[in-house]
Amino acid sequence: MINFERVSKRYEHRDALRDVSVEIAAGEMVFLTGHSGAGKSTMLRLLMLLDRASSGRLLVNGNDVATIRGARIAKYRQDFGIVFQDHRLLFDRSIFDNVALPLEIAGFHPRDIGRRVRAALDKVGLLGRESANPVVLSGGEQQRVGIARAVVARPKILVADEPTGNLDPGLSAEIMGLFDAFHRVGVTVIVASHDLALISRLRHRIITLKEGRLIGGVGS
Amino acid sequence: MGQRPALVSWADHHRKAASQSLQQLIAEPVQSFLTCLAVGVALALPAVLWAFLQNVEVVAGNIQTSARFTLLLEQDVSLETAQLMAAELETRSDIELVEAIDRRDALARFAEEVGFSELVDNLHNNPLPNSLQLHPGTSLTVSELDDLADALVALSGVEQVVFDTQWQARLQAAITASQRLTLGVGVLMVLGAVLILGNTVRLGIEARREEITVIKLIGGGDGFARRPLLYAGLWSGSAGGFFGAVLVALLFWFVSPPAERLFDLYGLDRRFIGLGLPGMLILTAVGGLAGLVSAWSTALIHLRRAQPR
Repeated sequence: MINFERVSKRYEHRDALRDVSVEIAAGEMVFLTGHSGAGKSTMLRLLMLLDRASSGRLLVNGNDVATIRGARIAKYRQDFGIVFQDHRLLFDRSIFDNVALPLEIAGFHPRDIGRRVRAALDKVGLLGRESANPVVLSGGEQQRVGIARAVVARPKILVADEPTGNLDPGLSAEIMGLFDAFHRVGVTVIVASHDLALISRLRHRIITLKEGRLIGGVGS
Repeated sequence: MGQRPALVSWADHHRKAASQSLQQLIAEPVQSFLTCLAVGVALALPAVLWAFLQNVEVVAGNIQTSARFTLLLEQDVSLETAQLMAAELETRSDIELVEAIDRRDALARFAEEVGFSELVDNLHNNPLPNSLQLHPGTSLTVSELDDLADALVALSGVEQVVFDTQWQARLQAAITASQRLTLGVGVLMVLGAVLILGNTVRLGIEARREEITVIKLIGGGDGFARRPLLYAGLWSGSAGGFFGAVLVALLFWFVSPPAERLFDLYGLDRRFIGLGLPGMLILTAVGGLAGLVSAWSTALIHLRRAQPR
């Protein structure tokens, strides 16, 4: 489903990715790991079209993403659910409106939006809190709202960049459990994390990067 | 179930963006009021000039109708001939009324006006010719009056045509120049309104930067991110235009009594022309359009910069 073919990314003064080739199958769950600056975030940025590869090809569903430009970028991103380290919730609106945002963008009927938002909040254990402002939630709860927003439109691919970076071990395991649950219902899940102790317990492929090079987890 | 036709969800989002941006304006009443007032003041000035010119043109039109020619005939043209000429000229479509003046009457009137009646009595020969007094059609323009003057000079028996079209040409030129000035001031002021609104929209983008970034990250297009901004511009602009219309109405309420007294003194049975309801609606629409244009261009510049990191 996702195919990095000899991808390199060079920023002004350093190589963020060097000659990375890796394939991620549909429905698979993989972890991206490595020290900070190893290239985890760069891989995700290339995948989300926040940056373009300096050389090599990135294929998603068989299409070279280099051909996706302009207004089609937004449409492409709608196939993904994204979870950020700092969750990036909007504090000027309710939890419901935060989670509903991807559905509004995709153009769902208000009735369907209500149903789906409640279903997503139910999955992350926050049903009944939808009218509250996310600012009143704890860090772990805020991240769960972020996950609800990422999955509410039932994306094919779920991408998370250090989703447990700001959480204590107990909450982190809980969050990883949620990702595992989405993987089990068929979603392709890619989680960047440097928490090796946590991710090695979950028995999924671990793709390891070091200074922009792939040093482990190439084959599945 | 699920996703709906693009047009339906697009209309839905328009409705939502429209109401949300209106609520945001109302949530900041002082800020919104000041912005709208600034736009209103900017739009009021050209509107006042425009309405003022409408009134000047009405007055000028009335003055123009009082124009008349005096045709001084050659010395050997008799009064009978003059009367025949008068009757003939009156058949022309661009002439309303022609009156033959006896040279003796003219001399008597001159003597009376100047106060040298004794001196005039002592004259052996009347130096004045018979003459025709001619009122042109009221709807003639300055250039048509000039044409008429040329035609009259060419008539046989006419020595001289006395008619000063120059002051009318000057008045016309002054009005034309003022119209251009109004147009120019109008364009400048609308541009000013666009800039004022553009700054407001820019502040709105700054305040909503995180929202715009998140929208883009999760697959919202520029159109989706821009829509609330466009509505914010439309609302502030329309409200500004309406404020401008109210300001102009207040100003005219203040000015119209002395202006109507002035008309009265000129013998004109005219009411002072204000903006009227259509004018107020146009001003509101101009404000709204300025708001849209400014939001569109500001969003175009600043949304590019709000690329997600």
